[in-house]
Amino acid sequence: MSASPAARIERAYNPFTWSKRTRRNFRLGMLFLSPWLVGFLVFTLYPMVASLIYSFNDFSFHQALRWVGLKNYIALFQDKYFWIALANTAYMVIIGVPLILMFSFSCAALLNIKVPGQSIYRVVYYIPAIVPTIASTLLWIWVLNPQSGLLNTALGYVGIDGPNWLRDPNWSKPALLMLALWGTGNTMIIYLSGLQDVPVHLLEAAELDGANWWQRMRHVTVPMVSPITVYNLIIGMIVMFQYFAQAYVFSRVSSANYAGTSPVGQPLNSTLFYSIYLYQNGFQFLKMGYASAMAWILFLVILACTVLSLRVSERYTYYSG
Amino acid sequence: MENSISSTPASRITAERRGRRLHRVKKIILDLLKHCLIIGVGLFFALPLLWMVATSFKADRDVFHIPLRLLPYVNTLVNVNGQQLPLYDVTIDNQTRQLALLKLEASNGDFVDPRDPTQTFPNVRMKFAEPIMRVGFRWQNYVDAMNYNPRSGLGVTIWTYLRNSLVICLFGIIGTVASCAVVAYGFARISFPGRDLLFILVMGTIMLPFQAVMIPQYVFFNDFLHWGNTLLPLIVPTFFANAYDIFLLRQFYRTIPEELCDAARIDGASEFDIFARVVLPLSRPALAVVAITTFLFHWNDFQAPLIYLTSPQNFTMALGLADFQGQRQILWNMLMAASVVFTVPIIIGFFFAQKQFIQGIKLTGIKE
Repeated sequence: MSASPAARIERAYNPFTWSKRTRRNFRLGMLFLSPWLVGFLVFTLYPMVASLIYSFNDFSFHQALRWVGLKNYIALFQDKYFWIALANTAYMVIIGVPLILMFSFSCAALLNIKVPGQSIYRVVYYIPAIVPTIASTLLWIWVLNPQSGLLNTALGYVGIDGPNWLRDPNWSKPALLMLALWGTGNTMIIYLSGLQDVPVHLLEAAELDGANWWQRMRHVTVPMVSPITVYNLIIGMIVMFQYFAQAYVFSRVSSANYAGTSPVGQPLNSTLFYSIYLYQNGFQFLKMGYASAMAWILFLVILACTVLSLRVSERYTYYSG
Repeated sequence: MENSISSTPASRITAERRGRRLHRVKKIILDLLKHCLIIGVGLFFALPLLWMVATSFKADRDVFHIPLRLLPYVNTLVNVNGQQLPLYDVTIDNQTRQLALLKLEASNGDFVDPRDPTQTFPNVRMKFAEPIMRVGFRWQNYVDAMNYNPRSGLGVTIWTYLRNSLVICLFGIIGTVASCAVVAYGFARISFPGRDLLFILVMGTIMLPFQAVMIPQYVFFNDFLHWGNTLLPLIVPTFFANAYDIFLLRQFYRTIPEELCDAARIDGASEFDIFARVVLPLSRPALAVVAITTFLFHWNDFQAPLIYLTSPQNFTMALGLADFQGQRQILWNMLMAASVVFTVPIIIGFFFAQKQFIQGIKLTGIKE
């Protein structure tokens, strides 16, 4: 009982000191966990190790590995498109994710106002989130059609000459962000459930103290939902780093008049995101070693960003209970 | 209150009333603003979807109509000698009449006067004829879209894509529910050394991007198992559990009272009996959530099918639609009809199981 913590941990993990019951439980636990254990080894651990090895090799489909050391990594850092892809993805993460969070929070706040028909509004706001990604992307390509599209027609009514969203490199990323905002229902619902959990007595106390709507929002509601913001931020980042399907489908339309060039990343590489370039290297240029190096860098970047946001948020997050 | 009013001068009373009225007016304006904002943002969410449905019912020439019309229009039909014929505004010799189209040949058409069927106008250039449209839904778009065959000679239609998607979803649900239910029980109810460390590892895999494991997985399935261009690489991994659903079910299992299991244990039930006979039946709501999120995930999935499935016979709905759009000429009305077909099952599902959808998001809203 009086053993030091280190000794206790050592005993807990040393099978020779386990009681019969512990041993039985361990076997039983492993049995129940076995589907995941096998899956982890085959579909996660092995691919992680393999892609690390590939990244130090010249490797293509159906070919033997050829060790090249750090060549892939060095080539990557000298590759113009690698930096373009990284910058495009950084745009989506640094501008896109906070924008999505703010928009989702605002929508959730609107949906939390008691008005007649509230439940109908909730459904309307949420439904776009369950439209399959490819369907919503195709729909938005149509909505953004410069001549007959819904958006430019609506802008025309208020006297704005809408841009050519899909073919103008300055507008392609904002167009994709609009699509992301449209389908943000999930983040919104998570915020809404957080808003419903904000204790009413706190808001009432603030109101009695003379706090106006903005002050209550700023000093009570936002801090109370900060754990949800951290959660949404991290998940939003992880999703955004892997942004693929929408950009892939989007650029196929805008590339229709770029005959001969690669169909992805258009216009003018403005939608060449990290995952798109990785896919292109691995499956179109068949440079799988190169793509594996990219994959490892992506993993490390996501890991670093997650750890960093957890560290930073610890200071600003309020956890009740 | 009564007292205080009677004891104050008359001017105070009117001022107070005016103040109260001002307050009420302010409140009404504020309410109005709130409503406008809620409806305005609502339009942003609703209009594109409505437009998708409207476009799916439009005739080809109505799709690019300027100015834009939200409602679909179809050619007005008129009954001539028991036949339904489309009605046109035809200009002949600077005179416009309403005539019905009898027969169309290249760029010329034979017209007939619906009021006097004996009077015919053969060989009129179609550029002098303008169809008379009315609001109507062109259901034929759906028939055409479902049977559209973008890659001639393969006999592949949207039905093929639908079947493939449903096969993947069905086996995906079976695999995910079965494996995650078992694994989550191990994490929730059996205490053994190393369990918590392993659980941290499970949650850590959420951070792992698909792209990081995509290439070795592809090589493994293609070169080692020779499963390239089959649905197997998309189905088989689901039988080995995933972090989101393990987490969701583990959280749910932990809310089931331990006493129930202890009672069964005293009766001599094995751990597996307790899992199958006590915990599983109580977990139906959570399993439904897992089934729904799994369906959504596989219905939506794009990148994995994109790398594994190479021939159109094996395409999923998502791949097939992207392929549809990849053709030179985009037929927006048909593409939107196909998109509606792709979307409607989910929306119907949502209205039947709203609670499970919402729970699924709150717990694993991340699975995109």
